[in-house]
Amino acid sequence: MEGQSARRLRWKVASHLLLVPFLLFALFPFYHMALTSLKQDRELYDRQAVPLLIRQGPTLDHYQKLLWESAFLTWTKNSLLVTLLATTLSLVIGTVAAYALARLRFFGVASFGTGIFVTYLVPTSLLFLPMAQVVNWLGLGDSKWSLVVTYPTFLVPFCTWLLMGYFRTVPKEVEECAMVDGATRIQALLRIVLPIAVPGLVCAALFAFTLSWNEFIYALTFTSSSDQITASVGVTSELIRGDVYFWGPLMAGAILGSVPIVVLYVFFLDYYVSGLTAGALK
Amino acid sequence: MAVGNVGVATVARRSLRVRVRELIDREKILGPVFVTPALLLLVLLVAYPFAMALYFSVSNAFIGRPSHFIGVQNFVNLWQSDAFRQTFQNAFVFTGSAVAIKLVLGISLALLLNQQLWFKRAIRGAVLLPWVIPTALSTLGWWWMFSSLYSVVNWTGIAVGIMDPPGPNWLGQKYYAMTAVVAVNVWRGLPFFAITILAGLVSIPRELYEAAEADGAGPVGRFWYVTLPMLKPVLAIVVLFSTIFTFSDFNIVYVLTHGGPINSTHLFATLARQIGLETGRIAEGAAISLYLFPLLVFVVYAQLKFVRKEVY
Amino acid sequence: MEPISRRRFLTTTAGLAGILAAGVPPARGQQREISYLAWNNFAPASDKKLAEIGQRFTKDTGIKIRIDHIAHAQQAAKYASEVQSQAGHDLVEMRMHFPWLYEPQLVDVSDLVADLEKKYGKVISAGYETAHVKGVWRAVPQYHLFFLATYREDLFKKAGLPVPDTWEDLYKVGKELKKMGHPVGIPISQNYDSISTAGPVLWSLGGMEIDKDGKTVRINSPQTVEMVEWYKKMFRDCMEPEVLSWNDASNNESITAGKAGWIHNPISAYLLARNKKMVTADGINHHRSLAGPQGRHDTDVPRHMGIWKFSKNIEASKEWIRYLLGKKEVYDEYIVSGDAFNLPVYTNLQDHPVLKTDPKFAAVKPEGVQLHAYGWPAPPSDKVQQITNLFVLPNMIAKAVTGTPTKEAIAWAENEMKRMLAG
Repeated sequence: MEGQSARRLRWKVASHLLLVPFLLFALFPFYHMALTSLKQDRELYDRQAVPLLIRQGPTLDHYQKLLWESAFLTWTKNSLLVTLLATTLSLVIGTVAAYALARLRFFGVASFGTGIFVTYLVPTSLLFLPMAQVVNWLGLGDSKWSLVVTYPTFLVPFCTWLLMGYFRTVPKEVEECAMVDGATRIQALLRIVLPIAVPGLVCAALFAFTLSWNEFIYALTFTSSSDQITASVGVTSELIRGDVYFWGPLMAGAILGSVPIVVLYVFFLDYYVSGLTAGALK
Repeated sequence: MAVGNVGVATVARRSLRVRVRELIDREKILGPVFVTPALLLLVLLVAYPFAMALYFSVSNAFIGRPSHFIGVQNFVNLWQSDAFRQTFQNAFVFTGSAVAIKLVLGISLALLLNQQLWFKRAIRGAVLLPWVIPTALSTLGWWWMFSSLYSVVNWTGIAVGIMDPPGPNWLGQKYYAMTAVVAVNVWRGLPFFAITILAGLVSIPRELYEAAEADGAGPVGRFWYVTLPMLKPVLAIVVLFSTIFTFSDFNIVYVLTHGGPINSTHLFATLARQIGLETGRIAEGAAISLYLFPLLVFVVYAQLKFVRKEVY
Repeated sequence: MEPISRRRFLTTTAGLAGILAAGVPPARGQQREISYLAWNNFAPASDKKLAEIGQRFTKDTGIKIRIDHIAHAQQAAKYASEVQSQAGHDLVEMRMHFPWLYEPQLVDVSDLVADLEKKYGKVISAGYETAHVKGVWRAVPQYHLFFLATYREDLFKKAGLPVPDTWEDLYKVGKELKKMGHPVGIPISQNYDSISTAGPVLWSLGGMEIDKDGKTVRINSPQTVEMVEWYKKMFRDCMEPEVLSWNDASNNESITAGKAGWIHNPISAYLLARNKKMVTADGINHHRSLAGPQGRHDTDVPRHMGIWKFSKNIEASKEWIRYLLGKKEVYDEYIVSGDAFNLPVYTNLQDHPVLKTDPKFAAVKPEGVQLHAYGWPAPPSDKVQQITNLFVLPNMIAKAVTGTPTKEAIAWAENEMKRMLAG
């Protein structure tokens, strides 16, 4: 008995040790970015300085510059608004489409399923040119609303596909029971299926949130006024000037730009894993 | 009387509503109604631009000038370009090695994360970090780490004693440059692999392991005969997704090497931008980005079929 | 439960429709308003000045102006999408050869340029070559910056090294510099600075990529051989392999951090060191462009103001150009705010007061230097630009310095250039 628990402990310690290289790989760049954002310029640009430590005292100058001397807060607000709305919109559209594809039999269901997946393959490198035309027809040129409308084009396929898998795992009988009791399909979807599918919804939402938060090329080309652009676009255009990069504030932007998502993931990580378990894999 | 009338009207209206509701509730109608929003979105915002891109690729389109149809000439001409042939090769090397490394490391990491751990939540969160930092900025951070002047990678390597000063010329030498861009892609994509595969591991029923153990299978045997086969559908999906995303990667190469040295890290997306936008030759740019579209569609179709067969 | 949800769904839809409708920029057209897209100037003070001048413009003329900024690297994508959707800004900043690229989309502004030339003298040659497209001014030359030598004067003095005057001199001092641990920093990679140096070296030897006609490839010449050989010995004796990996920021960072002893760049490196109070700032100085047997040439980056044809405010846009460039005191004020990074493009303004604001700007005068855009003497047509943008010239050099025989590397470049001109 004791031998076994000792073995278990040893294995546990070994697992941690084996994780160390992975964690170093994942965290080192993040650490370095954080360090860069906290160093004084003098030390940052000193070739003789030890790059892994702050020796000459940390500073919040770069953060201050970013927060008060640029429109970073406005850009972040835009990012948040666009991301939240695009995520919500995609989730709603994706949920109903996924439900239809998973549960209902109707004309063209199979080809629609494949069609959704193929949209992933459309190369995005030049797609934004004709898309800019469409955005303009919709009267959304230079407006953050253009992003709310266009982000779902790459979010909806994913959400649909993930939730489709998830809905299939909900036993049909549960729903049928409810319908025998007089509920309509829509009621059954809202009251029975969706509550069971919460982990799947959370997972899709997180994924969509991450993708739209990080999106760059649409945000760059469809918006330009300082009060409409998103954080990644604002930070890169404000802090890369010609052939000079302002490393301190740039990295401060990277750190601040990832905080909202890190917070989300910390809260919803378990949902994310269990959502993927049931959704993506079935 | 008045009350009665209102009652009748309500009944009539309600019965109409019930009828409508019943009608909508039929599968043949509800289905199309439910997929309409998605369909509208994709047709309006993807199908049209995609058709335009297709047209560009078979025309002589130049930014802001009238164009006409010229057939597959762009596709033929491209093949004579040194830069394009190099890009073609790079794309396969880049995608192949990055996906393979992510797969192997992803399985290992997922197995470790599935163990009893002390700071489970913190560790899982940490592993996910590279996935959530905005790419436009994290690749800049990597450039800074690789830059010849302040390379913290080389500094650390030299300090630890695994590199001779001045250390590798990361972005200036063909093989190192490819290694660097692959490494950054792996860094960014590994969390997706690890967490998704972890989700797959969690869903494998314990009884299977117990049964295998009863049959005398050791840890290796259990991994080989239970874990891997059970993970197959997950792996197929993850590899499929990652292949698509890796193949169309843009930011890493654009920031780190701009396709250099001597085009040895150019990918389809970066070359397409270089020619299509910087030079204005949209037709050629579109042809570059669509060159492998048919192949991709075929691969994905085949793989999806395989996955469906495995799962259902 | 269910009706509420449905109602909620309906409200959401209605809300979205409302947003779609309201998203149409409301005020445009009612009041005169123009929008102007400029790059993020390296000298941030000049962007602030521009905004200030914009406000005065509104006060004086009643025309509202919105000035947006964009990073240099993103200009191509942005402009392409504005042209494709025929909507966006009224005025855009046009770097170097852009007027050629977007020629059919740009308003003829010859009248504006004629007025300015009457006042300030002819536009300098590089401005003419890039903005005067097939007999028509497609953009109004605004300011320019050009490449020259930035070096560590303190190190040169300490070691008793002479300031180089020719590319050959540079090789001689470069050898010493490398021994001192302060190598020369000329990038040989897929970045624009690489082209900016390779061009002048080739021109000063009498060579060229494409002839004046824009059709005949002239790269396979004894001059090119000479240039490649020069690069080979520079790479071997004066530089470090790092230059193969550099991007546009690297040479600046190298000299400001105290490593490189000599770089070829506009004055941004010095300005950065000065503004950030780096220890190297005092030691950095500039000297004029290097010469070769066939004269003294350097790369110029003129910037112009263009008006899109799809603009609905062409007259108001012209008024803004007249206001910013046509009033001498405003133009002077604007140039001075640019720290000698933005220099006037008209002949009579060349000896500008801005050059007296810092003793380190003394050499920032293109006297006796011929300034050109990439690809000179060929006109910057789209095919010539493809050769530029695919980095054929730097890649040819990179091949040669890493082991490919010179002849073979040049033959490769010739082949690529011919293919691109034909295609």
